[in-house]
Amino acid sequence: MKRYGSFTAVDGISLRVESGEFFGFLGPNGAGKTTTINAIVGLARTSAGSIRIFGYDNERQWREARRLIGLSPQEFNFDRYLSLRDVLIYAAGYYGLRGKLVAERADMLLERFGLTSHAHLEYTKISGGQKRRLSLARALIHEPKLLILDEPTAGVDVELRLELWEWLQKLNAEGLTVFLTTHYLEEAEELCRRIAIVRAGRIVAEKPTEELVALGASLQDVFLELTRN
Amino acid sequence: MRSLKIINQVIWPPIITTVLYVFVFGLALGSRIPVVDGVSYAQFLIPGLIMLQVIDSSYGECSSSLFQGRFMNSIQELLIAPMSAYELVGGYIIGSLARSMLIAGLITVLGVVLVHSVPHDWLIYFVVIALVSVLFSALGLIFGLLADKFDHIAILTTFVITPLTFVGGVFTSARMLPRPLQTLELFNPIFYTIDAFRRSYTGQSYLAPVFSIGMVVLLTAISLGIILRLMAIGYKLRT
Repeated sequence: MKRYGSFTAVDGISLRVESGEFFGFLGPNGAGKTTTINAIVGLARTSAGSIRIFGYDNERQWREARRLIGLSPQEFNFDRYLSLRDVLIYAAGYYGLRGKLVAERADMLLERFGLTSHAHLEYTKISGGQKRRLSLARALIHEPKLLILDEPTAGVDVELRLELWEWLQKLNAEGLTVFLTTHYLEEAEELCRRIAIVRAGRIVAEKPTEELVALGASLQDVFLELTRN
Repeated sequence: MRSLKIINQVIWPPIITTVLYVFVFGLALGSRIPVVDGVSYAQFLIPGLIMLQVIDSSYGECSSSLFQGRFMNSIQELLIAPMSAYELVGGYIIGSLARSMLIAGLITVLGVVLVHSVPHDWLIYFVVIALVSVLFSALGLIFGLLADKFDHIAILTTFVITPLTFVGGVFTSARMLPRPLQTLELFNPIFYTIDAFRRSYTGQSYLAPVFSIGMVVLLTAISLGIILRLMAIGYKLRT
């Protein structure tokens, strides 16, 4: 639960994401998705309840818990003075990682996300789609077990969106647990094995994707039905 | 590392300002002033100018880095990493200390070249620079957290730090002041930093070093305590 004064942003959300799962967390604007993510990663403190990341309590064992999480936030938040390669190397440093292995991993991620030719540019000099890929690479630099994606395809063109889907599916197939929020319902339907829908800070549905879709004519119909005021 | 990427903003301006102070006040006007604390006025000026720039750069580095991080949201990257409040504060302060040491070193070299001013007590030189840099870095972090806009950061510099630094002994010895002003100087915290540091150059100070350095240690401990507490509770950082 998360309260801001008298306003309850998240009200008794209780869910369990299995290791290796691709989990969708959907809801209209202001439903509490980002607040929930902030509570998971430690940017917001819960007013009540607890969050465990692979068994670690994220408040009492925050150091262990945070090591296991990679976050690609909705808004770009890179240090504007750093090159793309340095963004990754500095981010690794925040997790206590440094040296040749980190440089090699940064180069591997830049290569994997098609950013090698821009490695020495500052992030302000690259396109929105490239920034989105950099955000993903940064979230993966410390080899997390849980990848949290807050609107990862917002504002990217169709081609890049499909490319990102492919990367995310590949990462999930390699064993990475993925927690995704998105406003693109077809994206959730394509990628997620299980979906939770939140409305006004409460979970109104949580089912395997096929079962959820089967509740109506399409995921969009189900979503609109469940989240309509 | 970050400071070196914006070297024209953070390293050269204090050096150029110092050169101008030395030429205008030290060599031009100072030649009409007799010996101060046993050295020429230009030589007397150098330790004060080093403190002026150490204070300014330490406060500026930490306040703007933290505020910019909050403003641009890049601070989130640090907040979600497995780092404690001690590590966060330590990281900012070490960066600021490195910048201050570099600036102090360059001004020291200028002092040697321009007015043959050389520190005599390197222990006091390094200890006071480190303490003052940590003190003003901690203050910078506190105001970087409290500020809601860039203007708020400048308030402390414009209305408190700069005036207190200028009247705190950068350009004058406390002994040159009338008695009531000498007493008033004791209420100026920056006076203790400059007085302690000047001893590393001239071998003389208004107060016994144990007292002036002790005061700087006390102020540093208080400031560090405040910023560590604010960071630990995530004040204006975590909701």
